[in-house]
Amino acid sequence: MTNLIYADIAELGSKLRNNELSAVDLAQAYFQRIEELNPQNPVFISQCKEQALHEAEYTQLTHPLSGIPFSCKDLYQTKGLKTTGGSRVMEDHVSEEDAYTVQLLKQQGAILQGKNNLHEFAYGATGVNAHFGTVTNPYNSSRLAGGSSSGSAAAVALGMSAFALGTDTGGSVRAPAALCGVVGLKPTLGRISLRGVVPYCWTLDHVGTFTRNVKDAALLMDVLGVYDAQDSSCVNTSPSSCQATLTDDIRGKKIGIPSNFFFDHCDPEILAATHQAIGFLEQQGAEIIPVEMPSMEHTRTVSLTVQLPEALSYHSDFLAEKRELYSDEFRSGFAAGQFILAEHYVRAKRLIEGYRQQLQAVFNEVDVLITPGCPTIAPPVDTTLVETAGKTEPAGNAITRYTSFFNMTGNPAITLPTGLHSSGLPMSVQLVANLFDEATLLNLAYQLEGRFGTCQPPA
Amino acid sequence: MHLIQKETLSRVLQELSCHPCGDAELEELVAPQMGIISGFQDLLTELEQLRVLQLGELPPAGQVQPSKKPEE
Repeated sequence: MTNLIYADIAELGSKLRNNELSAVDLAQAYFQRIEELNPQNPVFISQCKEQALHEAEYTQLTHPLSGIPFSCKDLYQTKGLKTTGGSRVMEDHVSEEDAYTVQLLKQQGAILQGKNNLHEFAYGATGVNAHFGTVTNPYNSSRLAGGSSSGSAAAVALGMSAFALGTDTGGSVRAPAALCGVVGLKPTLGRISLRGVVPYCWTLDHVGTFTRNVKDAALLMDVLGVYDAQDSSCVNTSPSSCQATLTDDIRGKKIGIPSNFFFDHCDPEILAATHQAIGFLEQQGAEIIPVEMPSMEHTRTVSLTVQLPEALSYHSDFLAEKRELYSDEFRSGFAAGQFILAEHYVRAKRLIEGYRQQLQAVFNEVDVLITPGCPTIAPPVDTTLVETAGKTEPAGNAITRYTSFFNMTGNPAITLPTGLHSSGLPMSVQLVANLFDEATLLNLAYQLEGRFGTCQPPA
Repeated sequence: MHLIQKETLSRVLQELSCHPCGDAELEELVAPQMGIISGFQDLLTELEQLRVLQLGELPPAGQVQPSKKPEE
């Protein structure tokens, strides 16, 4: 069964449809893996094994996702199963219906296994969680998995789920995917419905996916990228199929290489792998174009200035009654949020509009940008500060240094593995495309995956 | 700008309608230990730099929309 739990969705689906494997046996294999690993590494907060096995027994194999087990970050509302947000504050909360994205997956026959651990309410990028335990890196248990979608990334990397859903507000899908050696996709802002997902910051929150490879990411994109009229943040477009163009020729595609910020203070091995990726794309006929990105001097502050008041506003009701149940870390964030002035908040949103306009000018010249996924390999657990190539910064800032800007601009972005670092930890590259052009993003990512392959499973 | 004082923050909370904050939370703002808010004072200083930027007619960011390249 070892190979089975690391198979991609296409292979699993093929085995199911050819009767080489039953959906019940497949679900059992993943649950056995959870049983083995979860006591040491708290990847799952809750499971719905009985219901999942029941659904597997009666599943009709009508879609590539039929009979495929998945998990989701514990911010997704799920009918009849607790949604805790990774916090004591919502520890007993049970929703009456599934998040829209979970509904879409279930409609195609995918089988929900349970809910993944996270940084409390997505407030942080390390995945540290004092209440439910901190998910450690699948490749080295003394290292962080990254966050905030720590459990979702680890679930896929460790063969506990075939795929998983996360959320990405500053890199919370792409960064843990990068640190755990899986593929993390953040589609365009508004492309996938957020209905039924506990918010952290409405302006920056995105649904995202964790998969074993780019092909699976394209499949999920096509299933989840459905307009939801009941989510006012969802944009009604007519997107092209991501699967249909996955293998398209990339000759003539224009690849932008940022000349500022995105290659600074980066681990040398990660940097070298990124340059290999650029060289490969050029060999395949893509045109490499240096581009000047907007100034990144204030971007973290701008992002934080939007995050803190929005998080405070959402949690206002809970704060009145359950303030003591939040972590010290989150309470401090709320405190800071109270002293940010309304003009600061509006100004930050105006600056975000400025970033969007400046980046759009870049995308008038190129099809895709390429950067390293994270500047660092997974930091040690209990690390506060990280030093990378001459820059010392808080661990969460380091992990999301190259990802958070694209939450403000809303562009689709993906991180995918570029092999293992000499430390044995995964490295990654990030691709970013024009708004709503997930098809080009995944096409380039698929070609790049052909060069580097998927990450070898952890020992 | 003067350096922010814990007493100032405490008085703001007392005199305006706010959620209550514990002593430890205010302490974290003036002497940070946890890393996420890497210095509330630094944040305020940077916000002041942003406040004086000339932004002209730039509106706040709203919903993103599909874009067209100039030649399309």
